[in-house]
Amino acid sequence: MSCATWEERVALFAGGDLETAEAAAVERHLSQCAACNALAADLRLELDGLRQVHAEPLAAGHYAAVRGRVLAELAKAPRQHAAWAWAAALAVAAAGACVVWVMMKPVAVTAPELPRLVAVAPIAERPTPRERGSSRPLRGRKREGWQAKAPAPLAGGKVGQTLSSVNPQAIPVLSPAAVEDSPVRMVQLATDDPNVVIYWLFEEKGEER
Amino acid sequence: MKTLALAAAELGGEPEGRDVTLEAARAGDRAAFDLLMRRHERLVLGTAYRLAGNLEDAQDASQEVFLRLYRNLAKLDTGNLAAWLYRVTVNVCHDARRRHPETVPVDDAPELAAAGDPQQSADEAERRALLLRSLRMLSEKERAALVLRDLEGLSTAEVAGVLGSSAGTVRSQISKARLKMRGFVERYSRRRL
Repeated sequence: MSCATWEERVALFAGGDLETAEAAAVERHLSQCAACNALAADLRLELDGLRQVHAEPLAAGHYAAVRGRVLAELAKAPRQHAAWAWAAALAVAAAGACVVWVMMKPVAVTAPELPRLVAVAPIAERPTPRERGSSRPLRGRKREGWQAKAPAPLAGGKVGQTLSSVNPQAIPVLSPAAVEDSPVRMVQLATDDPNVVIYWLFEEKGEER
Repeated sequence: MKTLALAAAELGGEPEGRDVTLEAARAGDRAAFDLLMRRHERLVLGTAYRLAGNLEDAQDASQEVFLRLYRNLAKLDTGNLAAWLYRVTVNVCHDARRRHPETVPVDDAPELAAAGDPQQSADEAERRALLLRSLRMLSEKERAALVLRDLEGLSTAEVAGVLGSSAGTVRSQISKARLKMRGFVERYSRRRL
């Protein structure tokens, strides 16, 4: 084994960093190798010299200067804290005042526009299976919807007027021919949204007109 | 004004397993924090001095370490304060060197003894200066490992804990650092002859 391979172990040996077995191996090598022995001696000398320099205490003033600077910094901190506390308190107060102002401010509530009456039409009732002469049950068959008759002329209500202004008593009473004895009526109402149309279906049940 | 806890601590009457000074400092007692700094100032400033290479940077680093200590008092593990201080000192010196690489010349040996034979003093001064300069030849990690192990006397495992590396890495760094220093001193001595 060449001395180059021992160097690192000799360096560790000089500082007392080897386990017993490793240290014994290095010691054996040192007893046979003058160069490594000299290296170990020089390393020990230098480490001792460094430790000696490091062990000498610095002048007390150097330590005191550090402490003084640290305590001065810490003394500044509470004042900065106080300034921040004042700023935070002011910000909270301003935010609170804003909240109070918003809550006290009268709010003009605008109600959405009510739907407009478009048409009223009688609706034929859905025929029952018996009426259609069929004995098939309803389930599984194509459902037949309500059929609106032609819109009736509005009596007591105008197309375009809002629902609230429509007198329920004024919903048109259709002629017997138009109603075809159907008690069901449909009222079509338009809203602001052109995609939304309200159909109001109601049934009259023997009330006197 | 000293608190009772502080006075008891100074008299050596701290209860077993409790660091009364640290507890008082945590409670905001500045006198207790001053005492805490006094206890650890040699560790912090001494280590920073060897890592930074000059007193001015070492004092700046120490100030930062103690300010960090103050800010972290509540979180600190009482039993591991020295290790924490070593770790922060190494980190602060490392950060400072990254921000201001070698702006201040390395102090050769400001704490030299002036008494004695002038020739002997001159030789001694030169030897010390040479050893301190050889520290500057090392990489930051090697220097930190060597300072903690050889100058501060920490075990390899403790150094590994402070530097956040393995014991094997620390051993390798230490042996390389010692050999580099030896090489520097040898080259310098040859030139002198």
